[in-house]
Amino acid sequence: MSALDELKQKIIFVFIEDQRYMYIIKGLRTTIIVTLLALLLGLVIGILVAVVRTAHDQMDKKGLTGLPGLIMNILNAICRVYLTVIRGTPAMVQLLLMYFVFLASSTNKVLVAVLTFGINSGAYVAEIFRSGIMSIDKGQMEAGRSLGLGYAMTMQQIILPQAIKNVLPALVNEMITLLKETSICGYIGLNEMTRGGDIIRGITFEALLPLLVVAAIYLAIVMFFTWIMGKLERRLRESDNR
Amino acid sequence: MITVNHLYKSFGDHDVLVDINEHIAPGEKVVIIGPSGSGKSTFLRCMNLLEQPTSGQIIFDGVDITQKGVDINEIRRHMGMVFQHFNLFPHLSITENLTLAPIKLKLMCREEANEEAMRLLNLVNLSEKADAYPGQLSGGQKQRIAIVRSLMMKPKMMLFDEPTSALDPEMVGEVLGVMKDLANDGMTMAVVTHEMGFAREVATRVLFMDEGVIMEQGTPEQIFNDPQNERTKEFLSKVL
Repeated sequence: MSALDELKQKIIFVFIEDQRYMYIIKGLRTTIIVTLLALLLGLVIGILVAVVRTAHDQMDKKGLTGLPGLIMNILNAICRVYLTVIRGTPAMVQLLLMYFVFLASSTNKVLVAVLTFGINSGAYVAEIFRSGIMSIDKGQMEAGRSLGLGYAMTMQQIILPQAIKNVLPALVNEMITLLKETSICGYIGLNEMTRGGDIIRGITFEALLPLLVVAAIYLAIVMFFTWIMGKLERRLRESDNR
Repeated sequence: MITVNHLYKSFGDHDVLVDINEHIAPGEKVVIIGPSGSGKSTFLRCMNLLEQPTSGQIIFDGVDITQKGVDINEIRRHMGMVFQHFNLFPHLSITENLTLAPIKLKLMCREEANEEAMRLLNLVNLSEKADAYPGQLSGGQKQRIAIVRSLMMKPKMMLFDEPTSALDPEMVGEVLGVMKDLANDGMTMAVVTHEMGFAREVATRVLFMDEGVIMEQGTPEQIFNDPQNERTKEFLSKVL
């Protein structure tokens, strides 16, 4: 039997027999669902935390006191603790804690994964946004305020649209990291793509082929995002010259 | 229009404004001159609370705007401000720059705002730039748009913070031209500038500031032809 035939037999045995490829297909679906939902949650948390942090820092300079000052100080303290704890501990540990402790009553593993990675990603997204907001000239805020727009309105209409544009490449990067990081979900028994490949390995005692395919799919998705990011950056540069 | 009583402003240990008392009547065009670091920009920026005074009163249109509980956003609508660096919104077209605040503050509907924007753009001969973006305009054009953006709010008073200092020399004239038209229309204006020609021609009153204090003030003739204060003389001898 030639080497080619041997490979063909192996592929049939590893992937086709008993429709084992479905482990990877279904896993891929779970991976994408977890990544997208976690990304959305992370964006929401990230923007909120970034706005609180910058608002607090700007307010600090102006010396706001009284109840609004106190509330801002408390919110800012919460955000700082959140950033420190989330960025200071491994995502893996956070996932296990979430599954075995904080959400031990939940049987929905996708939910646990989405919450964990959403909260985790939010911390990184927050710092990305904060740097984006700080990169906008303070004259923009002053111009908005001088027209009678409130702080929140100026933030929403003038600062954030420009900041988001500036940080889009960094955000795509965060999304790529998030996608790959979801591969640890196997540790809580969630059948995402990496675990799908690993299950096939366990059944067939063939490690190379299933894991290689899993790796190739991750790579393809990441390359796709990188390509999109490249296009995006070019588009943004064009609009800067307009 | 606006009255400033015992205005103090310090940044840390540094006293930028020391006991400023001033009244600007409706229709006045007050030009503030002085060396850099004299506090003239800070004084201007205190008038609409872009700079929070350390102490003192600012009474605009009968309301003490330094009081707690005053809706500063509402007050600022009536005080247009033009900045040295224009501060147009680069992600919005010229029309959107002009109409954003009136629409978001529900002062005009979109059609009204667009109409008003067109009318004002025509006045400054920039109607063909309505759909352009700030990045496509020259400095002089940007500053004229910035002035028009303030005018969209139909302000009772306009503050100008060195409006021509960031411009190439050949563009200064077009901006000053728009400001002169505005002055002739009776707008109350406070202008921080180094354009002595403009001060001479347009000002009803010139303030000379140094070290956080209004050292001398008077009509342009008094200040430029017969200054009394030694500091004023020294400053004018350098800039004229």
